[in-house]
Amino acid sequence: MASLRLLVVCGMLAVAVAVAAHAQSATPGGMPPPPGMSLAESAAMRFPQPVRVGDLLGREVLRPVESQDILGRVRRVVRDRNGQIMVVIDFGGFLGFGSRPIAVPVDAMVLLGQDMEIVAFTPKQLQQFPTFSPSGTTDVPDDTVIKVGLAKPSH
Amino acid sequence: MRSPFRPDVPPDAAVLDDHKPLIRSLDRRGLIRGGLSLGALVMLTGCDVKRPEAVESALLAISRFNDGVQALLFDPNKLAPTYAASMILRPPKFNAYYDVMDVKPVNGVTWRLEVSGLVADKRAWTLSDLQALPQTSMVIKHICVEGWSYIGGWTGVPLRLFLERVGADLRAKYVAFRTADNYPSSIDMASALHPQTLLALKYGGDTLADPFGYPLRLRTAVKLGYKNPKWVTAIEVTNKYPGGYWESLGFPWFAGI
Repeated sequence: MASLRLLVVCGMLAVAVAVAAHAQSATPGGMPPPPGMSLAESAAMRFPQPVRVGDLLGREVLRPVESQDILGRVRRVVRDRNGQIMVVIDFGGFLGFGSRPIAVPVDAMVLLGQDMEIVAFTPKQLQQFPTFSPSGTTDVPDDTVIKVGLAKPSH
Repeated sequence: MRSPFRPDVPPDAAVLDDHKPLIRSLDRRGLIRGGLSLGALVMLTGCDVKRPEAVESALLAISRFNDGVQALLFDPNKLAPTYAASMILRPPKFNAYYDVMDVKPVNGVTWRLEVSGLVADKRAWTLSDLQALPQTSMVIKHICVEGWSYIGGWTGVPLRLFLERVGADLRAKYVAFRTADNYPSSIDMASALHPQTLLALKYGGDTLADPFGYPLRLRTAVKLGYKNPKWVTAIEVTNKYPGGYWESLGFPWFAGI
């Protein structure tokens, strides 16, 4: 009986630990950047590697937590009015329905093998992002090589 | 009906006979305790379980036995699958036991590859020395014990060729590696001599980038990912079991694919 109680307590503890891990996911490996450090400066610490823009299209975008929840897919890569490179992601939705495009600065993202991750924003913050509108932006051609930082797997 | 899970080529039953004494030496009670503890561990994931020494030694004995069986089954002439160059993932996937921000780039100009142990020529190698040796390329799959994989294209010096050049005793048991990131590793001689085991200097035709092991890393198609140390600084040929970083934490040593 005592061991059964122990099991139940342990199970509850495990759930609590998992929830805590999710709550901490806003700052995996120093992201978002500490106060006073820009996204670009922080991304520069992640050994940005050259990658062809065309190779990014269609990639799954994951959340940097152990469960690796899929946040969306890369739809296009654009330059905004300020010349900053943004990755447009079909964000949210369920079973392919109800997603909407949002533009995330490439410096908030990392490459993780065949996938990408958004490391500088939580899903809650991403929900507040405006729906992407292409006006004033230009598509980055597929053959352009840009640099994107890295991360180790979250699991 | 024939089981759909049965492999086309079943392993040689003689393998079991060869290891009869070892199997018998596994204490029966220890095995039962090991099984029970495994079940308990699965249920108690996340909790601190104090494991009896006996269970751990039984599990380690089973792991060593598995290593022995894998070594017996290893065919030094069988090639791992290769892929088209168009399938190479660029850049490759980063992985280490620490995050990418903690990578310490190695200076390729001052870097030297030390050679020690059962070799005739213990001269240290520079990067240009290694670049002057015959190079081989291969497009192979990197398979991680965690379950992920990717296809990568590697170019470098076949480890066999390097071992022959330094006059290594090719009958020795182990080839051990030390690295700049303190990730010791070692493989068996048969795998070291396999044609798909390289001292890799390039990825996708370009010099290795810092996070992937510049200036030199091991890439072998016949082992799991954690047997491919990056930023290699020293190679030793030895008969004394060298172990490795994850192996000392309980991962299997042979880790063949």
